[in-house]
Amino acid sequence: MPKTGQTSEAADERSAAESTTADGTPTETTDPSELVGEDLAIGYPTTDESVVECERVLLLAGEVTALVGPNGSGKSTLLKTMADQHQPDDGRVLLDGERIQSFGSKELARQMGLLSQENESPGTITVEDLVYHGRYPHRGFFESVTDVDQAAVDRAIDLAGVDHLRDSEMSNLSGGQKQLAWIAMVLAQETDVLLLDEPTTFLDLHHQLRVLSVVRTLNREAGVTVGIVLHDIGQAARFADNLIAMRDGSLYDWGPPTEVVTEQLLADVFRVDASVDSESPTGPHIAPHSAIEE
Amino acid sequence: MASETPSATPATRRERWLGWFDGPLLTLCLGSLAVIVGGGLVQVSYGAYSMTIAEAWRAVFNPNVVFSLRAWDAFLWGSEMPEMSTATLIVWNIRLPRVFVAMLVGMNLAVSGAIFQAVTRNELASPFILGVSSGAGLMILLTLVVFTGLSAFLPLAAALGGAVAFLIVYAIAWKNGTSPVRLVLAGVIVGTIFQSFQTALFFFADDLGVVQSAIAWTTGSLTGTDWEQVRMALPWTVVAMGLALVGSRQLNVLLLGERTANALGMSVEKVRFALSGVAVLAAAASIAVAGIVGFVGLIVPHMVRNIVGSDYKQLIVGCLFAGPALMVGADVGARLGMSVLAGTDTQIPVGIVTGLVGGPYFLYLMRKQDKMGEI
Repeated sequence: MPKTGQTSEAADERSAAESTTADGTPTETTDPSELVGEDLAIGYPTTDESVVECERVLLLAGEVTALVGPNGSGKSTLLKTMADQHQPDDGRVLLDGERIQSFGSKELARQMGLLSQENESPGTITVEDLVYHGRYPHRGFFESVTDVDQAAVDRAIDLAGVDHLRDSEMSNLSGGQKQLAWIAMVLAQETDVLLLDEPTTFLDLHHQLRVLSVVRTLNREAGVTVGIVLHDIGQAARFADNLIAMRDGSLYDWGPPTEVVTEQLLADVFRVDASVDSESPTGPHIAPHSAIEE
Repeated sequence: MASETPSATPATRRERWLGWFDGPLLTLCLGSLAVIVGGGLVQVSYGAYSMTIAEAWRAVFNPNVVFSLRAWDAFLWGSEMPEMSTATLIVWNIRLPRVFVAMLVGMNLAVSGAIFQAVTRNELASPFILGVSSGAGLMILLTLVVFTGLSAFLPLAAALGGAVAFLIVYAIAWKNGTSPVRLVLAGVIVGTIFQSFQTALFFFADDLGVVQSAIAWTTGSLTGTDWEQVRMALPWTVVAMGLALVGSRQLNVLLLGERTANALGMSVEKVRFALSGVAVLAAAASIAVAGIVGFVGLIVPHMVRNIVGSDYKQLIVGCLFAGPALMVGADVGARLGMSVLAGTDTQIPVGIVTGLVGGPYFLYLMRKQDKMGEI
């Protein structure tokens, strides 16, 4: 697809140019934010016991951390809690050392973006209008759209590579295009931390890689700290700087993919028999063989 | 965006604050205006006092009234009416105010319905989904049957009853926050209970007049409305419509779902309650002057959405025009329909006409659309 190649290249050039010329200081120099969860015990009103218990969860500043684990291991619950969308029964979440509850709701949304797993929008809304909603936390109740908002929206649309879909209605887009539009919306939020809950699930391979490359670009160029729940451990291993592997609501292992992704982990956490090629230059490669019987 | 000039970049397009006022919306507004003016002219031309159409229209456009500060002072502030001819007096003091009340009621109900549809994220919501109508209905019956001494305060009692019922529904639905489904369920339950009380009270009405009056109030009627009703509803209408327009962006974000709205930093519970409050205010203003007019608040947002899409900025503006159009049109049928059909002077409650017109139209929409329910 040469066209998309061009647009993302243009986006790269553009943001590279902007990062040095916009206000004289390159965007990379803004200090990346760090998100930490401590002594977390997370439950739901319908359950007595905690679903997730973690002593310490760390999203390192300026790095991409992927949460992996089988279905029901508590990755999404943990992510929601880190984003202040779910109250933990115990423990606290700190953004750059401050409790996230101490932020106002809009103030927090200016620092931390969250894209949920499933998103529904009215069918007739255009991509551009959707992306403008990402500016919500930056706008006062009566404030209209400012130049800053416009610039942020244009940048987000460029970066997500959905410029050609700007005026399309959401109901006319494919699943992958919709997801890119939603990503553009959280990009327009211009946060230091970005949390994504399974953004690639249900997408075809092309769009999976598009989504990941957008996230990667954002991380590299703007220093955004990324926490991402990924379904595919192989993808996570190649993509992330750090992995958090979860099993039955607790942390199984944490660290760079080359250390975390082992045959032992795949057997213990994912219950699959697999061989791992950790020497591969593009990160550990996993060859799954069979499911391990209970 | 074909209508944009080629030189208009996205940036300049956004800067024009009326950029969203596009073709379909404009057509809708103009069409609605035509219906309102047409319906209004029919309403002023016919009635018990016979005058020719020319006479009636001359009275409407009588510059001595239209441009008279004293006349408007009398209309809007209730001061003493200046001298005018009988025809002018009948047109301006009896027939026209009814049209104005219909317009106010129409826009209140339409906008209120539009807000509730966003708050509950359900296309089938109406202004009365959260118990407002049953609360108002119960208060109407209580006032007419039990506390007969308070009948002068009936409009106020009805509006208050609706607002209180809404608060009860909200309190019941609340458990660490609320959700559209909980709200709708609580609304249905509270509505059923209040409805039962209301029906029970009909048994204690010993006078046919009281029953008829109760029916007129609970189905919605514009019979006998004049400038006093305009004065009663206008200030609240202005406030509610202004707040609805200002809140349209919040409504749009709310439509993205609770989780997304939350993640964008909206205090969803506060915003939802505030917007519901605006919708209840609008509904209460219309109940106070016309009783419980059904269907308008359900159909109009629906109709408008079909034409302009789901952007609430456009939707609210569309409702401000389409609501009055439906209401004025329906009131023509309510006031003059029986004399055309049966040759009698009887007027029927306008709520019956909106039901008769709205029901089939809604069924038609349902058959035509594949997907109904969630916005």
